[in-house]
Amino acid sequence: MQILARQFGNPIFVVLIACAIVAGFLSYPDLKQPIIILSMIALSVVLGYYNEYKAERIVEELRENVSFKAVVIRDGEPSELNATLVVPGDMVSVYVGDIVPADMRTVECKELLTDESALTGESFPVEKTVEILSLQYPTPQQLKNYLFTGTVVTHGSGRGVVISTGQHTEFGSISRSLVRPHPETEFQRGVKSFGKMILTLAGALAIGIFAVNAIIGRNTLIDSLLFSLAVAIGLVPELMPAIVTISLSQGASRLSKVRVIVKRLVSIEDFGNMDVLCTDKTGTLTDGRIALKDYYSLDKSKDARLMSYSLLCNAAVAGEGQRVTGNAMDAAIWEYALDNDEREDVKLYTKVDEIPFDYGRRMMSTVVSRDGKSIFITKGAPESVLPRCKYAERSGKRIPFASSKNSIDTEVFSLSEQGYRVLAVAYREVERKSSYSSDDERDLTLLGFLVFTDPPKTGAHQALNKLKEMGVNVKILTGDNELVARKICDEIRVPIKRVLVGSDLTQMSPSELGAAVEETTVFARITPEQKLDIIKALKDNKHVVGFMGDGVNDAPALYEADVGISVDTAVDVSKEAADIVLLEKDLDVLANGIDEGRKIFGNSMKYILMGTSSNFGNMFSAAAASVFLPFLPMTAMQILFMNILYDVSNMTLPTDNVDEEYRKWPNKWDMGFVRKFTLFFGPFSSLYDFLTFGIMLFIFAAPESLFQSGWFVESFWTEVLVIFVIRTRRIPFVTSRPGKWVAIMAISCVTFGTIMPFTLLGGILGFTALPVQYWTLLILMVATYLLLVDAGKVFFMKICKL
Amino acid sequence: MYVLPYPDLFIWWVVCISWSIVFLTLVSFFLYADSKTRRGTKGVIRWMRDFVFVWVLIGLLALYVVSVNIGSAELFAQGNIVVELILVVYLVSNRMKTPEEPSITREDGKFGPTSE
Repeated sequence: MQILARQFGNPIFVVLIACAIVAGFLSYPDLKQPIIILSMIALSVVLGYYNEYKAERIVEELRENVSFKAVVIRDGEPSELNATLVVPGDMVSVYVGDIVPADMRTVECKELLTDESALTGESFPVEKTVEILSLQYPTPQQLKNYLFTGTVVTHGSGRGVVISTGQHTEFGSISRSLVRPHPETEFQRGVKSFGKMILTLAGALAIGIFAVNAIIGRNTLIDSLLFSLAVAIGLVPELMPAIVTISLSQGASRLSKVRVIVKRLVSIEDFGNMDVLCTDKTGTLTDGRIALKDYYSLDKSKDARLMSYSLLCNAAVAGEGQRVTGNAMDAAIWEYALDNDEREDVKLYTKVDEIPFDYGRRMMSTVVSRDGKSIFITKGAPESVLPRCKYAERSGKRIPFASSKNSIDTEVFSLSEQGYRVLAVAYREVERKSSYSSDDERDLTLLGFLVFTDPPKTGAHQALNKLKEMGVNVKILTGDNELVARKICDEIRVPIKRVLVGSDLTQMSPSELGAAVEETTVFARITPEQKLDIIKALKDNKHVVGFMGDGVNDAPALYEADVGISVDTAVDVSKEAADIVLLEKDLDVLANGIDEGRKIFGNSMKYILMGTSSNFGNMFSAAAASVFLPFLPMTAMQILFMNILYDVSNMTLPTDNVDEEYRKWPNKWDMGFVRKFTLFFGPFSSLYDFLTFGIMLFIFAAPESLFQSGWFVESFWTEVLVIFVIRTRRIPFVTSRPGKWVAIMAISCVTFGTIMPFTLLGGILGFTALPVQYWTLLILMVATYLLLVDAGKVFFMKICKL
Repeated sequence: MYVLPYPDLFIWWVVCISWSIVFLTLVSFFLYADSKTRRGTKGVIRWMRDFVFVWVLIGLLALYVVSVNIGSAELFAQGNIVVELILVVYLVSNRMKTPEEPSITREDGKFGPTSE
């Protein structure tokens, strides 16, 4: 119903319905005119509805492929289920990055913060608690012991019992959107400015034609009004939304076959036109299978305590017969321990508290107790952990950290330089207290290092080369340190122009950042906010920017980028923020998507360029002719009929072939180009309209009906057939063949338009049969027209250096 | 002697059809000048050759006005065939010179291989 309502919301239809009513009153009892106008509207509505409905169905089916999971504890056993299968009474665990799947009463909170902005408008994260609250009529903002559907866990972890799901949740009852609106894509901005240009021109033309015709007084006021409106409507490519939607939905459907799911249709065009792709490193350039290679204390020995502490200070979930879930590095530690049976000691400890990982601190801490002693364990990036160490443990002895600092730094540098990812583990004994915070992460004793490998992906080099050949510049945005990033780039042979680290970026002014993003290949050790700044700077530099990420910290950048790309294994919030979800994290499939995007953009541009140029030409000649002709060059009904027939001929344009060279580079919406194209190609159409006027008037001495029939056929032939010239830069039909359905539809419509004047419908519309001699002249004239447009195209491409 | 139907409309018609050709020629000159400003001039002969299609247009204007004025469908048809042949020769010779054909909406210098 919404789709149907949207069709009637089109202002053109509103104007036409008003015109039909006025025409009905003024010409009563002759209702031919209003009936024909209303039939045209009905046909347009049906066409638009059918196509949009089909497109929406495709998108819905595609979205079902992107699943959101929830960790549900039933009968004490945790299991990962599709979020839609959660029911009241379930116990659900939530972690950083999860979208809460149902309304829940909290039973356990570990520094749990949620972003409830989508529900309450509260822009700051809300801290959750398990406390019982005494509130008589609580608002969602006051319910700190509740987790609400659709809100995002931004920090910590927790558990809750599901109270309500689906439409019965707070979110369902207020029916708000889950996500905030995406920024407009480059294509949407382009279409908007194009729409403004067309509406301004159409409005001015309608007013001008009506005024001149009314002053001349050759036709009745209603005829002049309808004619001026029909001319204006003729200018508006009213089926453009439908054509674009069909192109996009068909493209999305094709992309799903290569395991690329498009969540937001409009992003496909920007996907094709993307000229910069910012991507993370893990899983894209590397295998993404992070494995713990080794662990050792400062004297290079394998200290069992180091492994136990790493397992205790760990966000992954594992146990007897349980899966290992959580962040990749923590899961890798568990996998190593399970494989090598090195987890026995863990059972001797009791977990007391946990301070979860966050991207600001780049570390996590756990408090455990054993034999009455409380131990505070911290594990994280060496740059974060080492400054918090007061001591280091070497061969069982505690020594001042400062005395070993140089050798420790050298060790970390050396490991990073070899491409290993390193985590430092430190600890201290603490006094037992009810809760701990990040302020306790101090005066630690460095115990040792965990060394991880994530080998470069086979084929990453080829995939990057392919993107480069397609004109897509890849930039790597990573939380890892510079050395690791450099090593990976080295291994996959990515030439590095410049590397910037997060601390460099903080000192840059916006203009410096704007310049730096152009020449930098690798951004290392950057925060989520810096990712966002980089994307914004690239967009300000007029790039169409894609961002590929899968972490919690990637969500803002995914929103901001022209094309947000995530993967099915990503955290919920990233998948929700993304426009496109890859079912496989593979740069190869990206190339397919980009190619598809370019095809769709190409076909949408064909419709726009063709429509603006030939429609402009026709409508301007109609406007000029109405001034000097003793009758209207075409009645409003005839113009509307031609317009709808022309739109029908374009319905298969989304299936057209797109030349290889067009798909070779990113294209860009360029309003200046559309204007130039219209100004240049529009007059060709006008020239041949005027020529037809001359032939009809001065060779055939045509009365009104014959004149209108002759112009209708010529105008329709040129309007439809010019697609074969404009659709390609090559030689039409010889080196570039149109799509089968485009050719069939165009020929069918031209045939229908040709026989129209001889039919009953033609008679109703006021057409009459044309003399045989006219057809000979018409064929010659249209052939000259098409050749001339092709010659003009050669000239235009040469001077615009296209 | 051929009697022109709607004689009072003829001058209007000539103005309209001429204006469309003049407009097209002016737009072509404007676009050409704009592109030359960016890339430097290349001489009169090149300029004459670049504008072949404009010369054809002017020739067509003369053909159309004369043939319509005398009401000669034959002249109109023959003239069209000649122009079509000229255009085919022009197009074939031009296509032979451009083996690599880049995108139709790509503006010069905006996109291209990355410098990396």
